Amino acid sequence: MDQKRLKKDQIGKLYNELVGEYDFYAPINKKGNIAFEKIENPEDIVLDYLNSKIPPKSVLFPQNEVLFEYTLDEKDVEITDRQDLEQKILIFGIRPCDAYSFELFANFFSFHGDWKDDIYLKKKENTTLIGIGCNTPKTTCFCTSVNGNPFKKDNMDVFLTDLGDTYLVEGISDKGKGMVQKLSWLSDASKDDLKKAEELAKIAEESITTKIDVDTVVKNLETCFEHPVWDEISESCIGCGSCAYLCPTCTCFDVIDETDHYNNRGRRIRIWDTCQSCLYTLETSGHNPRDTKIQRCRNRIMHKFSYYPTNYDLLGCVGCGRCVYVCPANNDLRVILDKINKIEEKEDEKVVA
Amino acid sequence: MPNPYIPYITKVKSIISENKVNDIKTIELEFKNEEDYKKFDYVPGQFAEISLIGKGECPIGIASSPTEEGTIKFTIKKMGTVTSGFHNCEEGDIVGVRGPYGNGWPVEEMKGKNIVVIGGGFAFSTLRSLVIYLLDEKNRKDYSNITVIYGNRDPGEVLYQEILEEWKKRDDIKVVLTIDREAEGWTEEVGFVAPIVKKVGPSSDNAVAVICGPPIMIKTTIAVMEELNWGPEAILNSLEARMKCGIGKCGRCNIGNKFICTDGPVFSLAELKELPDEY
Repeated sequence: MDQKRLKKDQIGKLYNELVGEYDFYAPINKKGNIAFEKIENPEDIVLDYLNSKIPPKSVLFPQNEVLFEYTLDEKDVEITDRQDLEQKILIFGIRPCDAYSFELFANFFSFHGDWKDDIYLKKKENTTLIGIGCNTPKTTCFCTSVNGNPFKKDNMDVFLTDLGDTYLVEGISDKGKGMVQKLSWLSDASKDDLKKAEELAKIAEESITTKIDVDTVVKNLETCFEHPVWDEISESCIGCGSCAYLCPTCTCFDVIDETDHYNNRGRRIRIWDTCQSCLYTLETSGHNPRDTKIQRCRNRIMHKFSYYPTNYDLLGCVGCGRCVYVCPANNDLRVILDKINKIEEKEDEKVVA
Repeated sequence: MPNPYIPYITKVKSIISENKVNDIKTIELEFKNEEDYKKFDYVPGQFAEISLIGKGECPIGIASSPTEEGTIKFTIKKMGTVTSGFHNCEEGDIVGVRGPYGNGWPVEEMKGKNIVVIGGGFAFSTLRSLVIYLLDEKNRKDYSNITVIYGNRDPGEVLYQEILEEWKKRDDIKVVLTIDREAEGWTEEVGFVAPIVKKVGPSSDNAVAVICGPPIMIKTTIAVMEELNWGPEAILNSLEARMKCGIGKCGRCNIGNKFICTDGPVFSLAELKELPDEY
């Protein structure tokens, strides 16, 4: 049987069994915010969270990541490649929206034929996801509008459902099924457990009340590049970039050399960057292709809801709602999409008037 | 798959100043490993991410032609930390090179056609690569008439003067040089590139035009070309952007759903007309 039960007080046992083989990442409470970090004590794991502040993309795509290291000699340079990419990684307690974002990342980083981002892809290949369904989605969640679901299991290896004092454990991928089988001490789940999990999934799905007609958004974006709606959308934006930094699908980065001149060594690193910054596209000559806020706000929305569907036949948004609740100017993505959806209606009104 | 961010190691073979004010230099690089040089198989119009390891990396068009075997060349204007670092390079210094990247000039599709090369200022580097490639004895027969129109602010800014002299001596290429304002000793054309193009009046018949230069030059020249009945498919441009990776990952060089680094940097005017005006 593929469905098992894990008692809540057995998480430590699970951790101890897996930590030898994997770098074990899990959500912990960090100064009042939930973050995914490599843990050393299973008691730190927090699973009754709604969603982490920083998405777990940071595990495979850290905010600062070494591309390679170097030592500098008078007339020579020695380069050392990453040596840690074969390490197995386990991410415990990841939510369905974030697990889906890993697929979008992998798709993007492998897209351009000869030029794959091998650093990310290797790590992804060596990663196992033990995820958990969302019994009580946040008010800002809208995954059901963007092909997601609070109990979407597709992108997980092992899927947990919180049944109260136990978790229902399901092996989803072959890798996950193998892992569940190896954990032979797990007891079998009962029919009642499965029924309860189904009910919880239904309640969770129904509790997400935000419904966005994303098909219309995608369609309207094809023709509204010059529309005045962008003035309205970008008006309150202060260009802080929080929406992009905390977006689980945002992949952009800067590259710099960090050199320790005393010891003649250093590393080339990539750092999260954002198209919301005016410096992002500023060229050396002084020319800036996107020097206005309107252009930058538009680029973020177009990228996720137009360029992404055009290039990859996927949406670049997983509906996690992070950009909604971190925005200091209250520039709500759900409202933005609604405005784009209503473009045509407004024009009709004008014609009638 | 190897780590795509690790550069090939090259050494500076020579470095020469290209203009009077000495803020543009051409740097010639020799690969440390012959194997790496073989892998660096490029066409004119492609670019590379070149770096001074410890200082940083930047995208630069390849100024040499693949027909100039043994080394590769980059023409670099002194602007920021990295480019200033290149200007201070000496023979034997280590330079990291990743690439070649981008699509390059479509030299295969250009076969059998008249080629008009129009350049302004410092943007001539990948045009140097293209013209040397076209004039190579193995390739010259594949192309019809070649016309080069190259404009600069003043005589001291004209790049690649020795090569231009060589071209002028040949009878299988027409070279028109112009400067913005009259200067002592200057015997060639005077005026902006666009009116000179109008004066030369290249025929659009079975022809491809390649235009590189500052945005205002491109804009005015395209207007002239349209007057001369050139269609947008026959006009090619090379774009640039603040790129970090060169391989479609860092995200910053998008124009609409295209990336300059992987879909370009060469776009036809017809392609650009389909894209938003964000370049």
